[in-house]
Amino acid sequence: MPDPGPVTCAGCALLCDDVTIEPSGDGVRLEPPCPLGAQWFSERARRPASAPAATIRGQAAGVEAALNRAAELLRGARRPLIYGFDGATVEDARAAVALADRLGALVVPGGLAGAWPGAPALPLRGASSATLGEIRDRSQVVVIWREDPLTSHPRLLERLGFVDGSADGSPRRAWRGTRTLVVLDDRDTATAARADLRLRWARERDLEALTCLRAMQRGVAARSSDLGDALGGLLERLGEVPHAAFVYGPALSSGAGGQRRALALHELVRALCGDRHVVTLALPSAAGATGAEDVLTWQTGYCGSVDLAGGHPELVTATRPLMADEGVDVSLCIEGGLSPAPAGVAEIALGSLPARGDAEVSIHTAAAGVEATGTAHRLDGVPLALQAPLARDAPSAAALLARLLAEIER
Amino acid sequence: MSALRISGGRVHDPANDVDGELHDVCIDGGKVVAEVGPDARRIDARGMVVMPGGVDIHAHIAGPKVNAARRLSFELRRDDVEACAGALRSGTGGLVPSTFATGYRYSLLGYTTVVEAAAPPLAARHVLSELRDTPMIDKAFLVLMGNNQVLFELIRESRGAVSPALRDAVAWWLEATGGYGVKLVNPGGVELWKQNNGYVDSLDDQVAGFAVTPRQVLEAIGGAVDELGLPHPVHVHANNLGVAGNADTTLETMRTLSGRRAHFAHLQFHCYGGKPGGRLRSRAPELLDYLGGHPELTADVGQVMFGEAMTTTADAHVSAVLRDLSGGKWINHDTEVETGCGIVPYSYRARNYVHALQWGIGLELFLLGRDPWQVMLSTDHPNGGSFLAYPKLIRLLMDRGFREEQISRANQRAIRETALLDGLDREYTLNEVAIVTRAAPARRLGLRDKGHLGIGADADVTIYHDRADREEMFATPRYVIKGGELAVEEGELRRADDGLLLSSRAAFDPEVSRVLEPLFGERYTVAFAHYPVRDPALREPARIVEAGS
Ligand code: SF4
Ligand SMILES: [Zn+2]
Repeated sequence: MPDPGPVTCAGCALLCDDVTIEPSGDGVRLEPPCPLGAQWFSERARRPASAPAATIRGQAAGVEAALNRAAELLRGARRPLIYGFDGATVEDARAAVALADRLGALVVPGGLAGAWPGAPALPLRGASSATLGEIRDRSQVVVIWREDPLTSHPRLLERLGFVDGSADGSPRRAWRGTRTLVVLDDRDTATAARADLRLRWARERDLEALTCLRAMQRGVAARSSDLGDALGGLLERLGEVPHAAFVYGPALSSGAGGQRRALALHELVRALCGDRHVVTLALPSAAGATGAEDVLTWQTGYCGSVDLAGGHPELVTATRPLMADEGVDVSLCIEGGLSPAPAGVAEIALGSLPARGDAEVSIHTAAAGVEATGTAHRLDGVPLALQAPLARDAPSAAALLARLLAEIER
Repeated sequence: MSALRISGGRVHDPANDVDGELHDVCIDGGKVVAEVGPDARRIDARGMVVMPGGVDIHAHIAGPKVNAARRLSFELRRDDVEACAGALRSGTGGLVPSTFATGYRYSLLGYTTVVEAAAPPLAARHVLSELRDTPMIDKAFLVLMGNNQVLFELIRESRGAVSPALRDAVAWWLEATGGYGVKLVNPGGVELWKQNNGYVDSLDDQVAGFAVTPRQVLEAIGGAVDELGLPHPVHVHANNLGVAGNADTTLETMRTLSGRRAHFAHLQFHCYGGKPGGRLRSRAPELLDYLGGHPELTADVGQVMFGEAMTTTADAHVSAVLRDLSGGKWINHDTEVETGCGIVPYSYRARNYVHALQWGIGLELFLLGRDPWQVMLSTDHPNGGSFLAYPKLIRLLMDRGFREEQISRANQRAIRETALLDGLDREYTLNEVAIVTRAAPARRLGLRDKGHLGIGADADVTIYHDRADREEMFATPRYVIKGGELAVEEGELRRADDGLLLSSRAAFDPEVSRVLEPLFGERYTVAFAHYPVRDPALREPARIVEAGS
């Protein structure tokens, strides 16, 4: 394996760009170590040379034939859907929205198994946010809201300056004294075990807790007696510092009531900002999520799911998978996970990992960050270059999408 | 590219002292040429007005800040859509259109070059990706450097002087990002905002932790840009934007930079008298006087237009003030080492004292200034209003009757604070409009091939019907020619064109990396080696304007 110097890991949305990779067993090892990143690289490095470049109904096929079949399906589609983007680059997403525009497709940035993102909270009230370095160097209190980054984004705490054994991993902290890691979770997670201050209540009570915090912050007594002490303790800690950050993710903002909970968090942060500097950091899991959402926003004006069937962009606000209601007949999954496609939908999969056996067409793509270069947006919005330490000559999703578009326009 | 003759139009090409003369403009190979053969395509421009394509020296059209503003204004785009048709992409409009719609709408307005005025260098890849998706126009972006902690360290070391290391670092940053020019926003003040919601009172305030002052930042970076000979001088958004009494700060900033070339952004927001916290007054005449004595300084106006706007700025402290005024949506985003960002939707109302005064001050800057080459047209899109309001603004300048009628609808207490009721009968001529919307911005940007129709110029040409209603005239050009090709005809796009990225380049000692790398390592959360944008797909096709050329 050549030594390409530090590369960017796209194993999660944190996109650590200081990673050296070395062979280890039948996979790779990362330095600094990260189990998720090692697994991610290994899965992509291990692809046998004999694996087919494409399949049609599970049978090995040439890329050209697979593209033709995909174009045929899309041309004839009544209601095409484009989704996925977990491992997609910005270039892939740009090409995907270009194709969706021509097809009049529905675009869902994300998988289909869980809840759709629906209408996010940010457009309704805005948010206060910051890049990783700002939080690392300024926030003395970091509150992790019902996420377990040590599992999902293993190096997040380190990159926010919480180094093992000491809370002072910031080379340039603007603050003095100790930092506090607050973890809210009623599960005993790896992250919760690292907390300086733990808060526990059930997820169903998040909205109540956020509303109470907001009321207490305004000087109104908490109505909920059993949460009052915990919330009071948190507010007190926040009140002592000029900088704080809230880290949140799907556990807060997805599913029924997600938008309201996210709004309540942003409202609380906004109120706290009156006399201090408080920011939020959202934790999408997939490395391609932020970039895809950014591309969708600049090309259509909307973040979230967008319907181009009317010849122009329309925002889709539904928050549950509506595949059946939408009458989708052909779906195109771009660098997505392996979620099952609903019955009766012909699936075209462009991805760097083997597609599901039931895909009508699958074409292997070079994994961005391993086999191909590209651009990805880190979870805090910072755009980064992806390198190709194990460059192979498989096409990128962007290249395949451009060929599909040309084929369809022919 | 085919040859083309635009014949019989009245040509307004102030950079070449052509003021409404009837003559043909010949085009070949994307350039203006002396003659074309008899087979050349012909556009009959008799009775029409011919100008170089419009050049916007200061707007916000691409990057993370603009994209966040798009998210925040989703309601405004539902009924304002562009359909996907032929080679044209779909999109949505509103105050902050999607990228394709931005390119199309600028082109439909007769603009062929636009500058994104505030890009965080850390976000260069994002800015470049968006600009790639902004068709029809040539585009450049300015790199934010006024609150960069690494540059602060170099300025501290040089005690505010222009050191070789600082000069090299500025050139390195342009080369690393593909940027065109250098922007300072509230120098020192944004770092203070991120530290403790603070702000700058005077140019000699210390930026805590760095022992540098806003004045030193202005002198050192402004001086470095000047010494490097970049095509566009340092582009300054001065401290204390929007604050009563800020004219003192602005004058002091001008004095600090005088003797060097500098451009002042959205001067209207920096022209206020009165006491901090008190009632706003106009001090536009004083600032214009100062500019009059200093030809090395220029400005754009940043006119506010009554109606909806979207304030988007690196000056995040201002956004927090607007948040508290409006109570509405608010975005704040802190970018490590480099800058901040604030976004607040805002509405300028004619009956509101402050808004009417801001509107009136903008008009004062246009109408009381002696030299249109020095004070250029902008609304700081979308901060003072959309670029789509330019035709109305031009009518306000050209049509006294219309202006007086509009003045009569505005808050009269505010209007009385301005010179607008003092028999200000000036009406802009077509040549003056051509100066403030294309010739002067192109010259100030150092774009020698743009903003004029002399031989060798880029064949970016806009042809208007000569209508009495100047708003209508400038809203719908009869033809727009971009790079020698017909782009727009009577309000319809005729082709999809990618447009060029404009970057500038100045030589620097590559050894500056040794100085920068350790300073990066302890501040940024991205690796120094990965910071510069190298991907040709992002950086090309570009036209590079060399410093000192
Ligand atoms: S935290 Fe995420 S991006 Fe960083 S090394 Fe681990 S998997 Fe890769
Ligand atoms: Zn601006």
